[in-house]
Amino acid sequence: MIRLTAAHCRATLLELYRSPGYWVPTVVFPAMLFSFFGASIAGDGIRAATLATASFAVYAVVGVAFYQFGVGVAQDRESPWEGFVRTLPAPAAPRIAARVVAALIFAAAAAATVIAVAHGIAAPRFTAASGLALAAVLAMGLVPFALFGVALGYLASAKAAVALANMIYLPLAFAGGLWIPPHGLPDMVAALSPFTPTRQFAELAWAAATHTPLPGAAMVGLAAYTVVFGGLALWAYHRDQGARFR
Amino acid sequence: MSPAVAELSDVHKRYGATEALRGVSLTVGEGEIVALLGPNGAGKTTAINLMSGLRRPDRGTARLFGRDPRDPVARRSIGVTPQDTAFPVRLTGREVIALVRDHFPDPVATPDLIGRFGLEEFVDRQTGGLSGGQRRRLALALAFAGRADVVFLDEPTTGLDAGVRRDFWDAVRAFAGNGGTVLLTTHYLEEAEALASRAVLIDHGRIRLAGGIDDIRARVGLKRVELCAPALPALDGVAGIGNTGDRHALLTRDADALVRELVARGVDFRDLEIRPVSLEDAITTALRDDDCADGSTAG
Repeated sequence: MIRLTAAHCRATLLELYRSPGYWVPTVVFPAMLFSFFGASIAGDGIRAATLATASFAVYAVVGVAFYQFGVGVAQDRESPWEGFVRTLPAPAAPRIAARVVAALIFAAAAAATVIAVAHGIAAPRFTAASGLALAAVLAMGLVPFALFGVALGYLASAKAAVALANMIYLPLAFAGGLWIPPHGLPDMVAALSPFTPTRQFAELAWAAATHTPLPGAAMVGLAAYTVVFGGLALWAYHRDQGARFR
Repeated sequence: MSPAVAELSDVHKRYGATEALRGVSLTVGEGEIVALLGPNGAGKTTAINLMSGLRRPDRGTARLFGRDPRDPVARRSIGVTPQDTAFPVRLTGREVIALVRDHFPDPVATPDLIGRFGLEEFVDRQTGGLSGGQRRRLALALAFAGRADVVFLDEPTTGLDAGVRRDFWDAVRAFAGNGGTVLLTTHYLEEAEALASRAVLIDHGRIRLAGGIDDIRARVGLKRVELCAPALPALDGVAGIGNTGDRHALLTRDADALVRELVARGVDFRDLEIRPVSLEDAITTALRDDDCADGSTAG
């Protein structure tokens, strides 16, 4: 099982690494968005800058996990190679695990770029302890979104997956308070915000970045989303029989 | 018969409005080479996909070593070459082979595989840049990489030139000689004859003929005989006839007998040509009469 996961990880990472057109924008885009929008919010002092940096790091992680891998699964599914791989004697788990590991690596690079850029243009403050806590939260929070992405990839065609990922991910980022802090959201969105997985992820990231104990409600909420999205991903994988064309 | 390693029992499979398989039963015994013959769109690929666990039958059952082929355990000793070939474009052939080998407990050594399927000159290039024939050879090698007991080969030699095709046939015979089981699809009767002891002919999702390869050839192995002659007498054993001017085209199961008869009856012919008939034409011509005779109708 570990050997198979490692083999699929190696293949996935090599393939992505040799496509700089994929990974350069993936790694750089959230930091670019921070420099456009995050920096003005981050201007209100050290605490605001630290929170905004954590928000955009969350945004980077969710983006990699959800958008890139949701679309990646959908694209692979339409390739004859995927059909061949499904005839190999391996269950679903090592392949899903390989994708999660690949997502972890690219998400770490994207989040690190956000934090580096934030230090260049604003004044966030991270200590070793808060930095490590944030990294741990980001890694944990990636899992539910990666699983949600995998589910989307197995349920939608490659073209539909791009559009659907945008339609789900961008509103979730906004409603979760990743771009604008929750107190700045319109009333209706602010009312929904606490129930979104992005907000729960962000609450944990903000707490970690500011040396505050992690809020229990957000932990339970995100854990529940992880179970739901994991079940959805497994169900989607098993019901899938390859792309269908009419 | 030897124990069944792969089996379809009365399977039906529909894709939208298309009924790909309509009640097909098929058993592949241990150590057999069985050819699944049929024109394009007959349902051959669907049959392979059901046996290798890629798809589920709508009705009926598929079995691989007595298990559901969708169970990974059932697929531990199979190898597959799909009809469509694609690999992760930025991985090299060697990296693809390594990934596939990692799925099996006792895979074939990579250098052996490279040598046996003639991959030396391109195995270290990224697969996105390979020619169709090179990709095909890599895909065939992958079916044998896991030291499988049973291989499913879907139109294995499409796009290969004659020399490579014969080398591949040798590799398949060697595999079967060591006790391996092969189910291959093809629309070339010639390929079925070269490899298989048994053939199953399917058309429009139904089995039309099944039996020894010699029987099948006798039924659908038509030859097209063309010649120029001022006039032709009525001839025995001619399944189809047409002419443009004095050029006549005849379909027959026994070209030798037809030519002997032409000579014996003193027909003044010239520019004689004899060619095998495509399976599609052979099926429509040779099996149409049978349908009328036994009262069933095709399609």
